[in-house]
Amino acid sequence: MRIDEQAPDEIGGLPPAAPRSSDTEAIREMEPVARSQFELVFRRFLRHKMAVFSVFLLLAITVLCLSASWIAPFGENQQELLNFNQKPDAEHWFGTDEVGRDVLSRILYGGQISLKIGVAVALLSTAVGTLLGAIAGYFGGWIDNALMRLTDLFLVVPSIAVLAIALRKFGNKDITIILILAAVFWMVIARVVRGQVLSIKEKEYVEAARASGASNTRIIARHILPNVIGPIVVNATLAVAAAIITESTLSFLGFGVQPPQTSWGNMLARGRSYIDADAAHLVYFPGLAILITVLAINFIGDGLRDAFDPQSKH
Amino acid sequence: MTLRQRKWWRVLAVITALALVAAACGDDDDEEGQPDTTDETSAPDVQDGGTLVIGAEQEPECTDWIASCSGSSWGYWMMNVTTLPRSFDIVKDGEDWVYEYNSDLLTGEPVLDDSTDKPTVTYEINPEAVWSDGEPITSTDFKYTWEQIATGDDIYDTTGYADVESVDDSDPSVAVVTYSKVYAGWKGIFGGQYGILPSHILEGQDRSAMMANGYEFSGGPWKIDRWEKGVQAVLVPNENWWGEPPILDEVVFQFITDTSAEFQAFQSGQVSAIYPQPQPDTVAAIEQGVEGAGTDFTGETGNLEALWFNNSAFPFDTVAARQAFSYAIDRPALVERLFGPLGVTEPSNALNPPIFSGVSDVDAFSFYEQDVDKVAELLEGDGWVKGDDGIYAKDGQKFAATLKTTTGNARRELTAEVLQAQLEEVGIQLDISLQEAGDLFGDQLPRGDFQVALYAQVATTLEPALCAILCSKNIPSEANNQSGQNWQRVSIPEMDPLLETVDGSLDQDERVAAQKEADGIMAENAVALPLDPLPNILLWKEAEIVGDLFSHPILGPFWNIHTWGLAA
Amino acid sequence: MTPGLSAVGTTLRLQMLTFVVRRVAYSIPVLIVASFLLFCIVRVTFDPTANLRQSRDVNAVQRERDRLGLDDPLVIQYTNWAGDFVTGDWGESDRTREDVFPMIRRALWVTMQLIFWGIAISALIAIAVGVYSAVRQYSIPDYIFTGIAFIAVAMPPFWFGLMAIKWLAVEPQQAWNLDDPPFYFVGLHSATGDSGFLDYARHLVLPVMTLTVQIVASWTRYQRASMLDSLSSDYVRTARAKGVPRRKVIFKHGLRNALIPLVTVMAVDIGLLFGGLIITETIFSIPGMGRLFFDSLQRGDAPVLAAWVVVTAAFVIAFNLVADTLYAWLDPRIRLG
Repeated sequence: MRIDEQAPDEIGGLPPAAPRSSDTEAIREMEPVARSQFELVFRRFLRHKMAVFSVFLLLAITVLCLSASWIAPFGENQQELLNFNQKPDAEHWFGTDEVGRDVLSRILYGGQISLKIGVAVALLSTAVGTLLGAIAGYFGGWIDNALMRLTDLFLVVPSIAVLAIALRKFGNKDITIILILAAVFWMVIARVVRGQVLSIKEKEYVEAARASGASNTRIIARHILPNVIGPIVVNATLAVAAAIITESTLSFLGFGVQPPQTSWGNMLARGRSYIDADAAHLVYFPGLAILITVLAINFIGDGLRDAFDPQSKH
Repeated sequence: MTLRQRKWWRVLAVITALALVAAACGDDDDEEGQPDTTDETSAPDVQDGGTLVIGAEQEPECTDWIASCSGSSWGYWMMNVTTLPRSFDIVKDGEDWVYEYNSDLLTGEPVLDDSTDKPTVTYEINPEAVWSDGEPITSTDFKYTWEQIATGDDIYDTTGYADVESVDDSDPSVAVVTYSKVYAGWKGIFGGQYGILPSHILEGQDRSAMMANGYEFSGGPWKIDRWEKGVQAVLVPNENWWGEPPILDEVVFQFITDTSAEFQAFQSGQVSAIYPQPQPDTVAAIEQGVEGAGTDFTGETGNLEALWFNNSAFPFDTVAARQAFSYAIDRPALVERLFGPLGVTEPSNALNPPIFSGVSDVDAFSFYEQDVDKVAELLEGDGWVKGDDGIYAKDGQKFAATLKTTTGNARRELTAEVLQAQLEEVGIQLDISLQEAGDLFGDQLPRGDFQVALYAQVATTLEPALCAILCSKNIPSEANNQSGQNWQRVSIPEMDPLLETVDGSLDQDERVAAQKEADGIMAENAVALPLDPLPNILLWKEAEIVGDLFSHPILGPFWNIHTWGLAA
Repeated sequence: MTPGLSAVGTTLRLQMLTFVVRRVAYSIPVLIVASFLLFCIVRVTFDPTANLRQSRDVNAVQRERDRLGLDDPLVIQYTNWAGDFVTGDWGESDRTREDVFPMIRRALWVTMQLIFWGIAISALIAIAVGVYSAVRQYSIPDYIFTGIAFIAVAMPPFWFGLMAIKWLAVEPQQAWNLDDPPFYFVGLHSATGDSGFLDYARHLVLPVMTLTVQIVASWTRYQRASMLDSLSSDYVRTARAKGVPRRKVIFKHGLRNALIPLVTVMAVDIGLLFGGLIITETIFSIPGMGRLFFDSLQRGDAPVLAAWVVVTAAFVIAFNLVADTLYAWLDPRIRLG
């Protein structure tokens, strides 16, 4: 899943901020430079109204879900067996599910797992992807070759197929799902980072730093990573959304989290068979929860992209 | 009786409404529940010919019925029952389902001669009976069928056939079957779950290869016209069928493996009849009302869904723990939730499926009602103490059990979640583990790698045979090549002889008495906890289909489809 | 833009040929490694003899193990399998005992129909909407299309499919009291009656929508962006300045350049499409590659899964190749090599 814009704008805009000075002295100036760069990005982000609104929306969703045990009107697995599939009413705002559990409460609890999976997958895959992508891009050679060949594999085999096979093998605890999703997702980020690093390492200031004897670690950490932070942040954001959607898809295929754990995808997969049995609310509400959350994350990603790379547009 | 464990299909049949029961009692009645009846065929509102489209939830993996790759109930209902001859039909007689010889195939009732220690059965074959290529059905076909099943590779189940010593086919129209010992279920073979195969076509050939992907021959009213994998199986009339000819020109079974799509397809008229599993969504849709649908629901089935304890594994290795677990569960509420709209509200209270109610003590387990005090009393008496987390523990081990059941079955997942909540309230922790059917039934249960499992036993013949799953000699062991089916590892010395009597005796009264006594022992020991009969559901478009639609507990819903017609 | 001189043309064709050959040669090891890894994963994950354990025939399991060579090391098993595969013997399904080759061929034919209509219709919509949005940038329809695109990618595809069945088939049929739903949702043809193009189309609409909803959205955004880019290029500006009519500039010059990036994106998304088939074909009871994968996965049908992976990968690679070639041909400035 992706909404990407790739063409540069005719307006030109500001060039990506980069250290202008090429001697090691200038590196000490990195901090202020970085700070002003951050301010610039932040100010540009604020201009993207949907993105700013989405930040608040996502914050609200997250806070609500995290405080489920205080605010949820019913327990996650509190059943009222013979009061099942009830339509929304004053007591159960979002109705009840197939064993008489409160759908609103379960959406709040389920959000914890869905968001946890989304965020954990994004963090894990970004960390691994950035590290390996940077190493591959910077050192090239066999490391780079190995990385590219490995990621090629996953470009030609549908990832949902790989994930389904892996989950069938390793089971479907939330932690397993996180690890397996991250094991596929990191490759996207690694490819992005590698590409960025490849182009930046040819830049003069990196050459100069190397000439003046800076270590590889230092060059990567101080010169290269700060300049690829934009694409990394944008991709990490979009990975949260992709992970949430992917988890729901895997749930639909029967490979999602297992009860008593709840996720939005799992609720949707279980409720979907009631769509024509006068209990379509079991499909609408978890679906809307995913839709709204993912939409918000994607808007934020869009805003971040614009902020980091003002040459793109929409 | 042999018991099949099936992933998708625990359901075998629907038993007809009371009117039909009454009708079946009288021999002179036209609407008798047999394949050779002529009900409504002459009714004026039936059109001659036409195509009927039926939604099929499951596609068989192959149609080589006797080999192990073919355990598909849907395959049996659609393509086996309609194309292969059987020596006995199964009909309703009063309250009971009984064998009745197939008068299309045989000229008289075969009888068991057990005057010697080598009992024999003589089948006299109707001279009119022919295969679809015009060749007569002969005693050699009986012999070939027996040889293939008794000595072939990968045979699904050789019960009964393994006890046959020889088949005399010297007279083509008379088959004399000699048994090496008394086999009480003899009416269930040479037909039963397999059917009789044509020796003149298959003899000397690779039977498996010829039959696996659909076959052209037939000895029934229908033959398989084509089987488009993944799409549909199509039946057309067998022109050489010597009995009552089919009314329809074509029956199309369209494979719709997604259950909610199946129901939607029925509602929108893309298929005219469906036979869905009693899944919660289907039940909910039925409760809501299906416009223009003829329906047949019944809890009197050949199925029994139960919680099967591993009697040799902690925590279910003591009677007290199994009883406490059983007292913790509100079975009536569960059954009401699952099947209430179908009129099935009472839990099953015996380990035999409901069609054997005549021989079982159907109230044996009824004293297991939810009783929190009783749970506490039993567990505390057995040395369990409630921990800080509210869960009972004994000798440092928590009363935490993992429930294994098949994946992809919404009803079982729902059941498991309900049990989980009910047990948690009394201080028993239940974890849920969903397994692929092949792994569960092929590996984990036989090895005893489970604590408690939720699945159904399905009757494929009319013989109750709980010994197979509850006698101590059938616990998987070296002695039985690990193929014993007493996966629960039940070992109760006083129960074994009773169940063996049920299996082997030819004296019906003796069998019933032994079965009822054994039922009491099972309940007292809580070897398993019966839950429900998995009701059968048959839905059809009332305005489109004319005929005597009901489902048979053994032969399935399509056994009399040659008598169905389209409304004119 | 096509080079006029024949010499240049010959060189270009030669270069193109080398390019294609190199790409194909490069793809083969990827295929081998992919199939090997997947073969191993499938073999260690699934026990093809599991359902035989229910057989009363105690030797059935061992006989099957011998037949499939399951006691050999994985590498040997793979080599045997791959050797047979290359010679056209794709083995026998563990599940149905049918030859794998006809199973895949049948499923692929069905799937190709979905893919063909999916790509064709998605590309048309993406180009039309993308161009419109770019030409009328910041207009109300542009905002609406943008909003729809964002929503489309934020929905789980199967949820969209369920909604589509409910609101485009089941509910309209009930509301208007029709004999049939306006769109069908089982298979690709009706079991009875007419099976003309209209029947086919009514079966295709919902699955194709479900399959492509995400890629239509993302292609539309690509097309819009690259069209904007193209419209602002010097080349188009010059044309405008010279007084070439606006419509001609947009369609002759702008659109042509703007299509090039879309081709690349389309190629990359083929893999995504194959993944989406698993969901779509399950929901709509279509016996294509996706359903074949899902059924085989549930039963651990290793021979089918292994062949499935290779065929799918080969298709994705082939599509990429076609796209790369097309790309190189559309834009001769791209270095071939």
